[in-house]
Amino acid sequence: MVTSPQTARGPQGAAPRRERPPLRRASEGRVLAGVCRGLADHLGLHPLALRVGVVILTMVGGAGALMYAFLWATMEPEEHGPEARSGRRRWVEPGALLVAGGGLVMLLGIAALVQGLGVNLRLDITLPVLVLTAGAVFVWSQLDTTRRDRLLAQQGTDRRQALGRLVLGLGLAVAGLVALGVQGGSLSQLRDVGGAVLLTMAGVGLLAAPYVARLWRDLREEQAGRIRETERADIAAHLHDSVLQTLALIQRRADDPVQVARLARAQERELRSWLYTGPVGHAATLAGAVAAVGHEVEDLHGVPIELIVTGDRPLDADGQALVNALREALLNAVRHGAPPVSAYVEVGRSSVEAFVRDHGAGFDPDEIPDDRLGVRESIVGRMQRHGGTARVRRLESGTEVSLELPVATEGRPETRPAAGPETPPASGQETGPRTGPEGAEP
Amino acid sequence: MTEPTGPVPIRLVLVDDHRMFRAGVKAELDEISAGRLEIVGEAGTVDRAVEVIREQQPDVVLLDVHLPGGNGRGGSDVIAGSAGVTTRSGGPVRFLALSVSDAAEDVIAVIRAGARGYVTKTISGPELGGAIVRVADGDAVFSPRLAGFVLDAFGAAAGEIAEVDEELDRLSAREREVMRLIARGYQYKEVAKELFISVKTVETHVSSVLRKLQLSSRHELTAWASARRLL
Repeated sequence: MVTSPQTARGPQGAAPRRERPPLRRASEGRVLAGVCRGLADHLGLHPLALRVGVVILTMVGGAGALMYAFLWATMEPEEHGPEARSGRRRWVEPGALLVAGGGLVMLLGIAALVQGLGVNLRLDITLPVLVLTAGAVFVWSQLDTTRRDRLLAQQGTDRRQALGRLVLGLGLAVAGLVALGVQGGSLSQLRDVGGAVLLTMAGVGLLAAPYVARLWRDLREEQAGRIRETERADIAAHLHDSVLQTLALIQRRADDPVQVARLARAQERELRSWLYTGPVGHAATLAGAVAAVGHEVEDLHGVPIELIVTGDRPLDADGQALVNALREALLNAVRHGAPPVSAYVEVGRSSVEAFVRDHGAGFDPDEIPDDRLGVRESIVGRMQRHGGTARVRRLESGTEVSLELPVATEGRPETRPAAGPETPPASGQETGPRTGPEGAEP
Repeated sequence: MTEPTGPVPIRLVLVDDHRMFRAGVKAELDEISAGRLEIVGEAGTVDRAVEVIREQQPDVVLLDVHLPGGNGRGGSDVIAGSAGVTTRSGGPVRFLALSVSDAAEDVIAVIRAGARGYVTKTISGPELGGAIVRVADGDAVFSPRLAGFVLDAFGAAAGEIAEVDEELDRLSAREREVMRLIARGYQYKEVAKELFISVKTVETHVSSVLRKLQLSSRHELTAWASARRLL
């Protein structure tokens, strides 16, 4: 059988020889700390066999427990997503209860055995020490590295849980210490010792507080640093894909100034829209469509257009007609006029106005031969069919085309017939559907 | 462009963190200035810029919006740091912002900090020269884009018009007309001709809009400004 990538990625066991997983403490399917599970995954054994082995070794002089503790301390915890960890989170793991119970029974057994052998165990000392140890285990368990991240993440339930454990651990430790100090004395002694212990702990806490705070801050900084690093990497990746590529292209085309200008302009625009997410929205709005048309004409002819749009509204068929007329006007300006070419589109409440201006020698609209459809049909005629107007003005320097389109006020979608009856088209050519031929100029 | 202001050349400081851009502007201005402009200093950071401005007491500072140093607010920091500096003849130092940024908050921030105008870096040499002369005379210089911002920010495009000229939060009908023509790419001279008013009147209107831009508490403006920690 040939291992194709599909079978290798299939369910466990389907692939004949999988890549051996690294030795990590498992976060899922574990009983205690995930040591046995992780080891079993790594060695390719059944976890139950390992668990039984550990328990048997623990029975024989405690070697299993020692080994387990050593592995727990040295094995890296497995990386896992947030959804994986939320699965089995309980106050106290059932596995831990199991082990604690077993350990207690074992300890009692050993104690009875030793006592039976005639050795004084001095229960008044050992018991408090045991309680103290249990408390310490609870507190120290908070230092587990995976929990540190969760604490930092400030997830409500996890935090409460961690706090609960901390309080329980501290309570046990205090109880153990007090019991140790009192040594079967009177009730007043208990109070004195209890007070002394609490006072000492408060003192230690006070002394340790700055260090803890410092540690906390360092962790936060480290986390913020990591986020910054990721952001920086994202920006670097974007710049590499866009700006660096364009720069390389420009160097290769250095002898063609038109191409270089076009590339630079297109890249500038792309970078701008990425940096500032653009002054306009997406293409489904009038402003977005205007911007798209402006960029298209710029790219076609390599002439920069100073395009300014104020206001915005959803793009409808009439708006699209204005955009098409604007495109034609822009094309005329960059072809026949002289730069700088500026365009201003104002989307007002009752009308949309658009102005395209160039600085060329200018032309008289009345002198345009009839076969030049650009201005007459694509601009003036189109605007009229949609209930708007178009004007071509000759300025001292250059020409200005102004378009105006009355728009419906919000909420009332105006249903104007496709060809406005009040404004018959300039020529009988395009009376039917609005989607006339684009760029009618030959 | 306007006429030369007299025999005394305009003393100019260039502030931009790109040395190549400074060199380019210098070359272009030298070409067209014909003795009207004198570049007396250059700086690439906020702190150096404030130093140079205090030392040279220029008439006009050509100021990049984004600069390293200072409190991280670029050109606005330079203007704040140069507060109280006067020109050699005792007048206020004028700032003309020059930027590649199209972001409204950048433009509004530097204008509200006190710049007399804003032009984009793609401006031609002669136009830049004209803008410098105009700013030196105490007039305001609006690029078409800045005019567009103003129309948007004051709701003028949507038909909001001030009833009295003194109102700070809206433009008067005349101011709106002037802004619209500037946005359409008209020079001041052309605006004047279009509206049958004098160039001086156009300049007055533009200065009045600049004042509103700097003082208005319209929330769009204050939002832009507070985004740059200007308030």
